[in-house]
Amino acid sequence: MALIKWKNRDLYDPWADFKSLQDEINALFDIDRVPTTTGLFDRSVSPAIDVIEDEHTYTVVCELPGMNEKDIDVSIASNVLTIKGEKKNEREEKKGSYYKKESWSGSFQRTLPLPASVNGDKISAQLKDGVLSVVLPKKEEAKPKQISVNIS
Amino acid sequence: MDTTKETRTMAKTCQAPCDIFHESDKVICKLEMPGVSKDSLEVKVDGDRLIIDGRKPAHDTKGEYRIREIRTGDYHQEFTIDDTVDRNKIDASIKNGVVTISLGLRESEKPRKIQISSS
Repeated sequence: MALIKWKNRDLYDPWADFKSLQDEINALFDIDRVPTTTGLFDRSVSPAIDVIEDEHTYTVVCELPGMNEKDIDVSIASNVLTIKGEKKNEREEKKGSYYKKESWSGSFQRTLPLPASVNGDKISAQLKDGVLSVVLPKKEEAKPKQISVNIS
Repeated sequence: MDTTKETRTMAKTCQAPCDIFHESDKVICKLEMPGVSKDSLEVKVDGDRLIIDGRKPAHDTKGEYRIREIRTGDYHQEFTIDDTVDRNKIDASIKNGVVTISLGLRESEKPRKIQISSS
């Protein structure tokens, strides 16, 4: 059984106001919804990625909402993975006025140096619900091996 | 008991980038929710509130994260809609992780041309 400190909810808590003030200030700096450039000389935006390593593969996950397969170019050259493409704004020429615009459009590029253990020939990529996953298998010799030792 | 309320506010949610634009007879709201499919999206109208909930698929945490930049947490967004929106003309669709909600305006709100009759 967990013991929880008893708190009288009817009492006025002066710190609760500070909490909401802090939340509001934090919301002002909540600008990482829009991707920015990462490098000093990058001219295009870099969408956020996740890289997950498990026993046999590396998985690169990239969020690219509203894009089709043909707009994305995934390539690998001398152990550098490049995801690039152009995110188009579908509504540019249509009539109407914006109340709010937070989404970004334009070309983007993300490069990622890969470890030497990646087998560059067996890379697969798939796009589902605006999420691109690139699966990079490891080379056979890089996988952990279990060697049984016989003790006589 | 307000436990349900508390768990809801404590659950980590994130806001999706949102575009809202006005066309001649409707207001279109576009939200970028990558990872959300048709089945994990819920759009509902509760009185004056338009509530959009999108659940991100839970990533199998088999491996270890080497880079982690993508925000976790489900999408939750609420908008207030006024009486100019016809409640029966609200449509929602999702494609490639982009949710499009079309809010049709009432007939009385549309621009109307008045014929001039010559006597």
